[in-house]
Amino acid sequence: MQRIICITYTAASLALAGCAWAPPQPWEKGALAKPAMTMGGDTLSQRFDQHVYSSKENASGGYGVGGGGCGCN
Amino acid sequence: MAWEEAAVAATESRVGSVLAAALLLPGVAIPAHAESAPEQGSVEVQALDYRDWQPGLQRIRVQAPSAHVLAPIGSRWSVEGSLVSDSVSGASPRHHTAVSGASRMSERRNAADAAVRHYGEREDWSLGAAYSNEHDYRSRTVSGTYSWSTEDNNRTWNIGLGHSGDTIGSSDDPSLHAHRLTWQATAGVTQVASAADLVQWSLGLNVGRGTFSDPYKFPDIRPDHRNQATSLLRWNHDLGALDAVVRLGWRFYGDSFGVRANTLDAAWVQSFGDRLQLTPSLRYTTQRAARFYVDPVYSASLGEPFPPGYDGQHPVSEDQRLSAFGALSAGLRVDVKLDARWRLDASVERYEQRGSWRLGGDGSPGLAPFSARWFQLGVACSF
Repeated sequence: MQRIICITYTAASLALAGCAWAPPQPWEKGALAKPAMTMGGDTLSQRFDQHVYSSKENASGGYGVGGGGCGCN
Repeated sequence: MAWEEAAVAATESRVGSVLAAALLLPGVAIPAHAESAPEQGSVEVQALDYRDWQPGLQRIRVQAPSAHVLAPIGSRWSVEGSLVSDSVSGASPRHHTAVSGASRMSERRNAADAAVRHYGEREDWSLGAAYSNEHDYRSRTVSGTYSWSTEDNNRTWNIGLGHSGDTIGSSDDPSLHAHRLTWQATAGVTQVASAADLVQWSLGLNVGRGTFSDPYKFPDIRPDHRNQATSLLRWNHDLGALDAVVRLGWRFYGDSFGVRANTLDAAWVQSFGDRLQLTPSLRYTTQRAARFYVDPVYSASLGEPFPPGYDGQHPVSEDQRLSAFGALSAGLRVDVKLDARWRLDASVERYEQRGSWRLGGDGSPGLAPFSARWFQLGVACSF
């Protein structure tokens, strides 16, 4: 777990440095309100995609808690 | 002055909703409507069609209608729920990529989930439940999430906790009545990094105890516990001049079976005016094999499918999903906004998995290529 945190922290730092960390003022946030900026996207589609991936690969999860199990994996 | 204040307040509210939406993840994820309840409800219905195959063998077909409903209740509450019914037919390999004549099957899985959410001034919490039932598998899950935002709405923290209880049976062995219990925990943060950047980082931990062996694989003996850890980093960047958004994601996965996986995904969301949106996407994953996965080399004395040294006691699996491989998929999604209430969407994705595509090229040998494709068609209405 420590390794995961270390790797991700480094990556997060690089990512944030890459996008020029500058939290905006309220009147500068118009672009952030676009629906396309939504990370989760369409609920049903995202669930189905993750369901397919998790039934064909060993790796799964990371997108939250509460998803039910399935005999497919 | 009043107009300017109103405009700022409106933008703040929308961005709060964006942060909330950014945390809306599949599987009753870490929803964080840390600003306010949704102003509109929505109903979405989708039809899904999935097929996979290996050379000379059509394997699985799944057809799955599904529906999702979200309804605000006053200004502080919302409820949401979904239903899905999978109709599955075909054949799944017993070991490696070999299918026995007895492994044809046809079955149905029905699943439902529901969640209620309460919105405070800068925080929200939710409680959810999920249920999934097949003739040989049943799963029940309860979960809770909590999220809170900083005063400037530029950062939202979230935590979540869930518990699943699964019952595992088998058509081949009616006496099988095994169980598995899993605790799920997650914590994450979403940060507005600039006027064009949203960054999200989530850590997840699952602790599972019980039966993990697959009753339809042979030989398949897995440890009676599995701990899984994930780290998910996502970054959305707005390209205002192009009317496009780039979405990037990286997930690291590790578990106590010895599997390590890295998954990269990227999507380009291109808008054409207010009504049309095209989203091509790419995904690549590379996975290290479980430490008890064995290659398709069989015992000289026992023959196929028994591996050399097989004793029926120690963990061993010939499940392709536990092997070392790389997988690449490409997709395209179209969203059409018909009017203020109605929206259509359609998507297609093609998936290819190869041992030789593992990063570094040293994937598991002797496995047939695996391919899949799926279509989705949906219609949504706001109310």
